[in-house]
Amino acid sequence: MADKITIDVVTLDSVQCAACGYMMESIAALPDDVQEMIEYTEWSIKNKDGIGKFMELGVQVLPSICIERDIVFPSIIPQYEELIDEMAKRAPSEAMKDRIESLRDVGFQFDKIQENLAKAGAGLATRTDSKVKK
Amino acid sequence: MAKQMLLDAYRGKRTQKPPWVPYAGVHCAFLINEPADKMLKDPELLAKGVVNAAQRYKADGIPLVFDLSVEANAVGCDLKWWADNVPSVTNHPCSDKTPAEAGLQLPTQDSGRWPVLFQAAKIAKPQLEELDCALMGLFCGPLTLASHLAGVRIFTDVYKHPDFAAEVCKFAGEIGATSAEFYAEMGCDIIANVDPVASQIRPETFKEYVTPNCQAATKVIHDAGITSSFFICGDATKVMEEVCQVGTHGFAVDEQMNMNFIRDLARKYGVGFGGNLKLTLALSLGLLSSREDAIVSLAAGGQHGYTFAPG
Repeated sequence: MADKITIDVVTLDSVQCAACGYMMESIAALPDDVQEMIEYTEWSIKNKDGIGKFMELGVQVLPSICIERDIVFPSIIPQYEELIDEMAKRAPSEAMKDRIESLRDVGFQFDKIQENLAKAGAGLATRTDSKVKK
Repeated sequence: MAKQMLLDAYRGKRTQKPPWVPYAGVHCAFLINEPADKMLKDPELLAKGVVNAAQRYKADGIPLVFDLSVEANAVGCDLKWWADNVPSVTNHPCSDKTPAEAGLQLPTQDSGRWPVLFQAAKIAKPQLEELDCALMGLFCGPLTLASHLAGVRIFTDVYKHPDFAAEVCKFAGEIGATSAEFYAEMGCDIIANVDPVASQIRPETFKEYVTPNCQAATKVIHDAGITSSFFICGDATKVMEEVCQVGTHGFAVDEQMNMNFIRDLARKYGVGFGGNLKLTLALSLGLLSSREDAIVSLAAGGQHGYTFAPG
């Protein structure tokens, strides 16, 4: 069983498209304790890997946040608590579910956004020949 | 090239044929073999890029820049520059305080990158006039700018801290009105309020936070006798009734919208509409035929208030 929750953010391009950028930021601004429990990637449909993920997940609109392969936020930038609740529902263990739910009142954290976005490859694969690094 | 035809379409009037606007943005830099960041910082290169794109694409109108970081940068947000993209905002001065508490002031013509834009417009405008091509000024809309100022928390604050969200969005709307004044002074023929993240919220949130904070800028534009528009991106289906009633002469949408739905809505409200060539799937990736896509757009849009444009 996976020990992290997988989040896929399918975008046009989080640099060019503000809506995509703030979808990515909604994950990158999650507090440190949540960051330890998630693994997330930006999939820009400007490259073939992104198109592949778009098709694989059955995404209909951009941008969309998928948690554990479920399309949870299609064209809606989520509130903090909504994100926490949807991640908790899909946590791989009861212990992780409890830990995520305990962070419901913490709120977004803005001091590591750039670092977290870089880890997710945000804005780095926007050319047609780009490869998404996992 | 036909500026008047474009102005007519933007105002929802009938035209002899659909006018055409390439929202070229940083593609202007690519066309003159320059990096995007270099072009956006250099008024002469920016003017050269814009005029070149207008000529190459036989445009009826073209934006000076399509860059939603200008306003945020002018009030103190830092930028990350990219060689092949627009700059992105890297910090949010209102992430833990209101604009007043953060000491933010409305921009002047000397703030941030505005001097570059004024200089570029001065160079480009007469050349575009000769081409009979409209110069378009695009400014960052209230919710997108509020996101730049406060970060992604703004989407939670609209429910949990509505007073805070209202204060940030109000300030963003005031900045938008200032930008509209600047673009009017530059001689722009069309000024558009560009609020892409406004598609990512519920209609009631749009009515409460976006619509009222567009009014000051729209008044500036209309008082100057200039044509206005509201640009929105993404799947904006749920807020399109609100977009049609935001008070601008028209609107533009991206490739995710159904053009027949958009056309019918625009005609219902008597406003202009534009879009929505498939920028990604056809023009960029070539997964769809751009020719067939164009025919579909043209057939749906017709010659009544429609501007042919990428989405």
